[in-house]
Amino acid sequence: MTNENGTRPGGRVEDIVDSANRCSKAALAATLWLVLGACGEEVPTAVDDALIPDDPVTVEVRLSWEEFASNLQVLGGYGSPQELGTGVAAHEYGGSLEARTLVGFAPYPVAASVPDSTGTTRVDSTLTRIGGRVVARLDTVSPVLVDGVAELALGATTQEWHARTANWDFSVDTVLDQRPWPEPGGGPVIALATAVWDPTQGDSVVFELDSAQVELWADTADVTRGARLDALTAGARVKVLDANLRIDVRPSVHPDTVIQVTAGRNRLTFLYTPKPEPPPDGIRIGGAPAWRSVLDVSVPSQLEGPAELCAAVTCPVRLTSRQLNQASLILTTRRSDPAFQPTDSVGVDLRPVLDRDALPKAPLGSSLVGALGKRVPASAFGDGEGTQVEVPLTAFLKAILESEEGADISAPRTLAILSPFEPISISFGSFFGPGTAGAPVLKLIVTAGRSIQLP
Amino acid sequence: MNKRIAVLAAFATLWPSSILGQSLLNAAGLGLPSLSVDARARALGGVGIGLRGGTLSASDPAAAAYFGLPAVVMTAQPSWVTADRSDGVSSTSFKGTRFPQLGIAYPAFGVGIVTVSAESFMDQRFEAQKPLTIDLGEGPVPATDSFVSEGGVSRIRLGFARVVGEGVAVGFSVGRYTGSVTRRLTRALDEDSTATSPTSFDPYTSGGLWGYSGTTLTAGASLSVGSFAQVGGSMTWSSALSAKASEDTDGEDRSFDVPFELHLGASAVLAPGLSLNAGVSRADWSGVEADLEAPGSAGSSLSFGVGMELSRARLFGRSAPLRFGYRHTDLPFAMLGDQPTESVWTGGLGLALAEVGELIRAGVDLALEKGNRTDGVLDERFWRAALTLRLAGF
Repeated sequence: MTNENGTRPGGRVEDIVDSANRCSKAALAATLWLVLGACGEEVPTAVDDALIPDDPVTVEVRLSWEEFASNLQVLGGYGSPQELGTGVAAHEYGGSLEARTLVGFAPYPVAASVPDSTGTTRVDSTLTRIGGRVVARLDTVSPVLVDGVAELALGATTQEWHARTANWDFSVDTVLDQRPWPEPGGGPVIALATAVWDPTQGDSVVFELDSAQVELWADTADVTRGARLDALTAGARVKVLDANLRIDVRPSVHPDTVIQVTAGRNRLTFLYTPKPEPPPDGIRIGGAPAWRSVLDVSVPSQLEGPAELCAAVTCPVRLTSRQLNQASLILTTRRSDPAFQPTDSVGVDLRPVLDRDALPKAPLGSSLVGALGKRVPASAFGDGEGTQVEVPLTAFLKAILESEEGADISAPRTLAILSPFEPISISFGSFFGPGTAGAPVLKLIVTAGRSIQLP
Repeated sequence: MNKRIAVLAAFATLWPSSILGQSLLNAAGLGLPSLSVDARARALGGVGIGLRGGTLSASDPAAAAYFGLPAVVMTAQPSWVTADRSDGVSSTSFKGTRFPQLGIAYPAFGVGIVTVSAESFMDQRFEAQKPLTIDLGEGPVPATDSFVSEGGVSRIRLGFARVVGEGVAVGFSVGRYTGSVTRRLTRALDEDSTATSPTSFDPYTSGGLWGYSGTTLTAGASLSVGSFAQVGGSMTWSSALSAKASEDTDGEDRSFDVPFELHLGASAVLAPGLSLNAGVSRADWSGVEADLEAPGSAGSSLSFGVGMELSRARLFGRSAPLRFGYRHTDLPFAMLGDQPTESVWTGGLGLALAEVGELIRAGVDLALEKGNRTDGVLDERFWRAALTLRLAGF
């Protein structure tokens, strides 16, 4: 049934429906695309002061030694010079330092691969020793020389010595066995050779040996077997990185040829005097054996200032771990004993002492500073005395604050100041201690504000 | 049985969330009210009341009486927003998806339909940032203040609806306010990477978590006038909305008055296959102003909308009604300027996925809205879609 226009009754609606049907697929596709397209979330974000309900204040607070620390102790004896793996030779360095390096050599090689007269390489175990030399490799980075050179002497030790415990006074210094040197400082020795080292000519110094001395050192049953390296130049100090014994031998398969075989060093340590005493009013780190400084730390529960803090929030302000942005210990460098003046940068590390009662052998927690510690240039312990060194300890103080806020774990409250590597050098770093003008200061960066409320 | 478990699992997974923000006005007052209606009502520009047929609507508890089979309704609502400021603050854009409505209707003992539903009520999610410089004596340190509000208020309802006479249905629901909001201010001082030894700062944080609670009751009725018109109305009463701070929150507990809500709507058949729907809802939020920190920020919320439905349209050989509409809403909370308003042009369609006779066992409704919100300072333009999935007779 149609009307005069050819459409059925209600045809206008039908026309709309027909048109709508054509649009439906497009509408469906568009809507599905939109729905799927919004799967990622982006939070409504405004750069707007008005939407931030509080304007906290961030201030710096400095606490004196008396306000945050107590019970400073300087402890020595951590590690031994032998752990350095290097030696030192010095004579009247800094006016007083004497240091000598002891070296032990491995057994001689008993065979060598040698080409015979036909050119075929053979293992020859019949070697005739005809001479040799000790070659010492020295550190060219920071030697202290006189007129650009240092004269060194090599001697053969005449007494048994224990590399791990030998020191200036004792050749063996263990709990159950203590044997003094006949002469303090590793002596006496049989003088073998002297040489002048000029670092511009190379990093090694060579001491020629005769065949008799080479033969003497071939006896591995001789417990005194070893060499001592001394500095003869007053005021010089050199670092011995390594020392080898190179032996000239004549192989049986090629008797007209001289070859070299090497007996490497199997022990290396150094002896020095004078032995530094603990500072009466200072902080010391580094050295070999190493020094550590230990102090007890307390954190104020409330802050009474500074003025800008009290202007923003009501003072006193309860100090919480949430409010602490940063904490650092400010140390002031002090001129070290010239004999132990650093010639390279000194690392400063901070570690919590986990069991104070077990000092000086208390276990330490993780570093608060990082693997290399806070580096301080060597000059800061000399002409640059008074340099302020800021060492972070935020995590340590936060742990204390959290402990006071009711955390389950009781945080350690004793802090060790030390070198990140122990031992790393004969020299040590010194800082002013309590009771002096450069006493350590605790610096806090604190943010405080009103508590956040609902709108 | 397995189908029922699957449906319940889906219900739990898609619990209505108001933690996904869709407007900077989420920062105003108690947040941005969420219109918890399905895609059909959205496409019609309505306020979710006075629609023909069975629907699950927070504002029309009586409409559930017309469900012939057990049904599950789930709605997802993505949106894309661009916001501009007339006061020179930079513009921004963001997008997000939320799930404003989730519900089950189930015939109970032959006396009516029991409904369980959850819906978002106030969206409070937003972030704000402020760059600044702090002088710590050793030189300025750049820093950023960031404020994050995450969460919102939801409602869970248990309702009942039944047909009480020729063309007359009544319904009511009892509900609880729920949800939580985390508000956290963070000040981050930038690391001084230029220093010999880089200095790092731990951020300062302040804030806490508040959990919402309260009670709400809704009662409503609908009346069919012959076969060409339907009228519906409902009222919602709510107790105070209580916000309780968690133990480690420094902020205080709060309580907010929630106003009485009125909803009215009607549908009329203009011609075979063509019907008109209109609705209005009102809630006076000015009473909550005393509970807010910002004075003059709360007012009356009025929403009205109108739309048309072409029910004879077909897609892929199946019934696919087309819908168009318009809705205008006075939003209750001001933030930067005057009381904000929202205007939306809407469109969409339904699609029966599985039909048995006249019963739709599975269907999907799609809606697409283009609108803007403005308070005189902030101007948000947005596209918003809604997707509602209906499963019946499971």
